[in-house]
Amino acid sequence: MSAVLTAEPTVEPLAAAAAAMAAELARVTVEVRGRGRGAGEAAVGAGVIWHPDGLILTNAHVAHRDVTVVLADGRACGARLVARDPRRDLAALVVDATGLPAAEIGDSGALRVGELVLAVGNPLGLVRALSAGLVHAVGPRAIHADLRLAPGNSGGPLADARGRVVGLNAMIVGGLAVAVPSREAQRFVREQLRG
Amino acid sequence: MEALLSLSNDLAGAVERAAPSIVAVHARRRLPSTGIHWRAGIVVTADHTVRMEDGITVEAADGRSRPAALVGRDPGSDLAVLRVADLDTAPAALGDDGALRVGHMVLALGYGPRASWGVISALGPRWRTWRGAEIDRLVRLDLVLYPGFSGGPLVDAAGRVVGLNTSGLARESRLALPVTTVARVTDELLRKGHVARAYLGIGMQPVRLPEPLRAALGLPGDGGLIVVMVEPDGPAARAGLLLGDVLVALDGAPTGDLEDVQAQLGAERIGTTVTALVLRAGARTEVRITVGERPRRGAS
Repeated sequence: MSAVLTAEPTVEPLAAAAAAMAAELARVTVEVRGRGRGAGEAAVGAGVIWHPDGLILTNAHVAHRDVTVVLADGRACGARLVARDPRRDLAALVVDATGLPAAEIGDSGALRVGELVLAVGNPLGLVRALSAGLVHAVGPRAIHADLRLAPGNSGGPLADARGRVVGLNAMIVGGLAVAVPSREAQRFVREQLRG
Repeated sequence: MEALLSLSNDLAGAVERAAPSIVAVHARRRLPSTGIHWRAGIVVTADHTVRMEDGITVEAADGRSRPAALVGRDPGSDLAVLRVADLDTAPAALGDDGALRVGHMVLALGYGPRASWGVISALGPRWRTWRGAEIDRLVRLDLVLYPGFSGGPLVDAAGRVVGLNTSGLARESRLALPVTTVARVTDELLRKGHVARAYLGIGMQPVRLPEPLRAALGLPGDGGLIVVMVEPDGPAARAGLLLGDVLVALDGAPTGDLEDVQAQLGAERIGTTVTALVLRAGARTEVRITVGERPRRGAS
């Protein structure tokens, strides 16, 4: 293998690819806001559009009840909490919309330590901010990533270098990002919504 | 998006290439540290993570735990060397730390393997640690050294080991010992079990010398080192150096700061005599000191 980033011309396409992917990921990421205590409520977390017909996945600790989600195009929609699993820290929301830009879901089971990962969320009130890092360690219940998150990233996507969502960011532990693997999220969707 | 994918694959490939040579070192309570299988049967790790001398075990990439014998340790450079019988996993592929450039992408790896990503944030010339060891080059990192990462490899984008990461040499920043230094110190530890350092047995602080005094006594520099501690029965004490003496030169070379003293005291000076020019009670005095060897930690 050739050493990465030693040949000059590779850097520019890299930056362009990262920017394109950030924009793509931002489209499938929603802001999750609290509801009922005034219109100006700040984002409490993020979510991932899982299905074009209005299914959105987020963390259970972000969605305790019905919430408002804000799409990338600026639309704010009321979302119904349809399933919640605090043990896995997952929740499913449904908005009354169709044709939404849904995320492409990757296989968290195929992740390798050292792979690049990207996260989009609303850390500290910034809307759809990007963080980049890499896979630190992979376990069946959690992906640990060497990547800087902040409160507000919760429920947002962790994506691989192809832009496929491989996890939902859930926690920061000892400086590491901890995400719920996409396999867990798919199992949750199967069990809760089709069962 | 091809560029991103190929970078991602390269980084994951670098981790996979380095992973077989990474071990977990169980030489302290709670959290193990990381070690590098340096060459057949020899593991290097960060000395500050080795808190016991007996009962050390090493868990290799194959998941098997093996007993390890402490061959030698050098707190000065924060390096410890272990011998592990029956370690049949591949030793590390070494890179060239001289080829590193500021901005190069690097990975710090821990046992598992676990990975941390960053860049070389600064490079510098030969430097001396706070414990007196000479490090061949300064390698400063912009990455996170997670708990248990000390003693693990710093790996370049091709998966070659270019350094050993440690949080034990600087409080605020993350540093790596370049492989050049690791190789040198490891060889010495394998030969002798410890790294010999010259030793006078005094603690000193820099002081400025007033101009009239310098002129009156014909002193070489504008600063000196006041002796604030004399180790009882140490080399300096035996030679008659006193608390409050101000060291102004060693063998004719001015000693304005501690670096000047260390520069005069390589390991080759052990057993030889140096002439210390000191100020005592406002007058020049010469004291001849036989340079000793720094006592080892835990040695009786």
